[in-house]
Amino acid sequence: MSENRSEPETGIPAVDASGLPDHVSEAEVLESAARERREKLLMFVTNWQGLTGLILVLLFFASAIFAPWLAPYEPNTLDIPARLSPPSLEHLAGTDQLGRDTFSRILYGGQVALKIAAIGVSVALLVGLVLGMIAGFGPRWLDNLLLLAFDTVRSFPTIVLALAMVALAGPSMGMVLIIVIVTSIPQYARVARTATLTLKNTDFILAERSLGASTIRTLWHHIMPNVVGPLMILAAMDVPVVVTVEAGLSFLGLGVLPPTASWGTILNEGYLVIRDAPWMVIAGGIPLILTTLGFTFLGEALRDIFDPRMGKGR
Amino acid sequence: METLLDIRNLSVDFRTPRGRVQALRDVSFPVRKNRIVGIVGESGSGKSTVLWAILGLLAKNAEVTSGEVQFGARDLLHAGEAALRAARGEEISVVFQDPMTSQIPVLTYGQQMLDILYRRRNVSAAEKRRLAVEMLGKVGIPDPASRIDQYPHHFSGGMRQRAGIAMALLTGPKLLLADEPTTALDVTMEAQIIHLLQELQHELDATVVVVSHNLGLIAELCDDVVVMYAGEVIEAGEVREIFHNAQHPYTRALLECDPARIDDVSRKLPVIPGEIPDLTRPRQGCIFAPRCQRVMPECRQITPPDVERSAGNFARCHLLDGPLADPSWPPPHEVNTVGRGQETALKSATVASAEPLLDVSALNVQFETMGPIRAKLRGVEARHVDAVLDVSLSVRPGETVGLVGESGSGKTTLGRTILNLVRAQGGSVRFEGNEIRNMPEGRFKPLRRDMAMMFQDPVGSLSPRKSVRALITEPFQIHGITGVDLDKEAERLADMVRLPKPFLSRYPHELSGGQARRVGVARALALNPKLIIADEPTAGLDVSVQGEILNLMADLQFEHGLGYLIITHNLPVVRHIADRLAIMYLGRIVEQGDTAELFRNPVHPYTQALVEGVPQPDPDRRRAHVSISGEVPSLLNRPKGCDFATRCPYVQDRCRGEKPPHYELEGGRSHACFFPLN
Repeated sequence: MSENRSEPETGIPAVDASGLPDHVSEAEVLESAARERREKLLMFVTNWQGLTGLILVLLFFASAIFAPWLAPYEPNTLDIPARLSPPSLEHLAGTDQLGRDTFSRILYGGQVALKIAAIGVSVALLVGLVLGMIAGFGPRWLDNLLLLAFDTVRSFPTIVLALAMVALAGPSMGMVLIIVIVTSIPQYARVARTATLTLKNTDFILAERSLGASTIRTLWHHIMPNVVGPLMILAAMDVPVVVTVEAGLSFLGLGVLPPTASWGTILNEGYLVIRDAPWMVIAGGIPLILTTLGFTFLGEALRDIFDPRMGKGR
Repeated sequence: METLLDIRNLSVDFRTPRGRVQALRDVSFPVRKNRIVGIVGESGSGKSTVLWAILGLLAKNAEVTSGEVQFGARDLLHAGEAALRAARGEEISVVFQDPMTSQIPVLTYGQQMLDILYRRRNVSAAEKRRLAVEMLGKVGIPDPASRIDQYPHHFSGGMRQRAGIAMALLTGPKLLLADEPTTALDVTMEAQIIHLLQELQHELDATVVVVSHNLGLIAELCDDVVVMYAGEVIEAGEVREIFHNAQHPYTRALLECDPARIDDVSRKLPVIPGEIPDLTRPRQGCIFAPRCQRVMPECRQITPPDVERSAGNFARCHLLDGPLADPSWPPPHEVNTVGRGQETALKSATVASAEPLLDVSALNVQFETMGPIRAKLRGVEARHVDAVLDVSLSVRPGETVGLVGESGSGKTTLGRTILNLVRAQGGSVRFEGNEIRNMPEGRFKPLRRDMAMMFQDPVGSLSPRKSVRALITEPFQIHGITGVDLDKEAERLADMVRLPKPFLSRYPHELSGGQARRVGVARALALNPKLIIADEPTAGLDVSVQGEILNLMADLQFEHGLGYLIITHNLPVVRHIADRLAIMYLGRIVEQGDTAELFRNPVHPYTQALVEGVPQPDPDRRRAHVSISGEVPSLLNRPKGCDFATRCPYVQDRCRGEKPPHYELEGGRSHACFFPLN
């Protein structure tokens, strides 16, 4: 008879040399964490929305980063005789009123969009995260003060704020970045604050306090990792918004200055000649739509997989 | 006897990313008419899944792979949605575990009960209301005609559960399902609800299925019992057969593990080794074999037979029949089949003589109920409530003090105040002779090395994005202790709490309750503290595992001379581990003294009620009457006299007008009662 080995005095299962109960193998224990990661990856890959999103986003990045090699022409080379030509093998997306190749300009325009999206979203995310955590974890008066500041900023319509700031400082890409960052900080901060507030009174934060952890340690090691996940998803879904803001401002002539190519300026210029050459607006609009779709799909797929609240079943 | 509900060969799978979890496998049992059937099992046994399968309310990822549920002439498992909906509520109704979340907060009880009767078109609204009022009266809600127009938040927890039962019974169902009906309630409320269910069942001739992990409740309430383990029915039978003559080793072990059943007070509790098996893996042989105290090699290969003793009584075990039968099994009642702690006669004399490690005297903690301006406007003078009032308590090195009280008694607040996590308004807290109350955090921080706290929720008190290794070495980093090898320390601590080393790289959500609790213990012990405050150390743990944690705590106390302050509502458990007990009621300690002495001879009526209120896992020792009625009053209207006066069975006029002081008795006992018992 092979009794289940258990220490007679404790009743706790006996452990073998590797420190494991005799009914579990080491491989099994190590496997579980890796398995969970694999499952998440599999879930992501089998999600058509997520995959489409990922492909579109990669396409966006690749086209912007490799623009100098991909573009058939310099974005600002004039080819006056071929101005306003329709799409052809020579000019894949036609040319504009100065004869510049629209396809090349779109690729270079992607660089502007990427720069603004990457810098704008990451800076806004970082500042919003820090401010939001301080608001959520700090004393009540500080919370109220910060909330007031967030709401003040949010109450400005982006375009009106941009108009005012550009009127004061003149249009430039730096200006666009500042506008993007300032207007998107409050929403990150709000989300970070709410998440921090719900964590503030959980047992594990109290446990950290009982161990003597300082406020900064608690925020950095224990709150931040739990707050940053939903914020990253929010950021992914915010990228297209930022790209359209940039395009919108450039369209209005408040953003990137000509002759620099940007999707907004392409649309703006195309708008002037829409009766003669509609393809310019179409060609300028397509990357905007694809980028928006790509990031939105990606963001939603990430949320579906990583946000436990979206789980199905009991 | 007529069978009302017959579950046959029910198998349910859950589709999860990890594979198919075979949550129920071939579950069969009948529910006889006019009986109370209890389904008992630990977490993960599939007992709730059975309940939801009966109602056709399984989660979306569930798949019924085989079986049928015969209810009268119908098969509920294969009935259409319309037929199911007609049965739910009308013929089968449910009492839920948590009345807080299962009732609609924005509708009055009147409206909610009217809605339940929506199918009865020929009954007028006035008549429906009359029925509802009558039913509320039946479940013991005072003044039902006016209270029916109140909202759930106007009702206290116990009252809400009564209303929940009233709602379930309103349509006169043939079958009542109750899912852990008392788990969210206090001990004294639990007794009242058990009695109510019993009375109503007699009166209405209903058939009841109760799902619970609480053996005491099952013994007290049920006629028939079904024991489940990891998705299988391993034993079923009449309540006396199960509790007095358990055949299956698991049932036997489960009963032996229940602290309320162990009469001799010892430091060590029995434990079933191991954990519930992973149901995604293919199995062979007996499901309980990996943990069984009487396992044989064949058990792991051959599926055991269902051995029937009499109609309806069976157990699934090789020991009972077939070539492997052992006529000496089951052994007589007195023999213990599961490993239990070796008696450690370790309570040394040093305990009594030593200076107290922690000394709390006349501590008062208040919570603000409204801001100063609002209080002025409303003309309210007392804008604070006393959460902890006039509490004196001491813990010596190597001593275990149990702090017992119902929810809202202020016991957790007291624990947190001692650790300076909550500010106190008066009194003193001394640690090794030094006053520490409301000490600024900067000065208190070094003291945190000497005092550690274990929190109620074993998994929830661990930071979710940290590995076990990072969690248990964090105290070293917090207190800036350099010159130690953190990896070595992590391994040392894991060894100390008997946590297998590969678990060090896991994250909290990958741990079971018992493992997470051991991580909590390891972290608390990292810096060799002198005092540990443990808030409900067995909460969220199954009966078979809680002993493991308590035995571990006892061993560590012996090795390190720790002082424990154990905060709990679980009297049967604390009885086995505490040297002294302090009973708290509404923020005040009503009685304090030696554990054995207090159990033998309670002086305060509340202590007596608690001691007698423990449900016994023995159907022959059912409580004849409910010792105290009513509920704990709100802190907002603390009684003027004795706090317990509103519920005390021996109340006299003096109790209502005057607050009793603490009386000291010989032998370190004290109580707060004008008219102590005996």
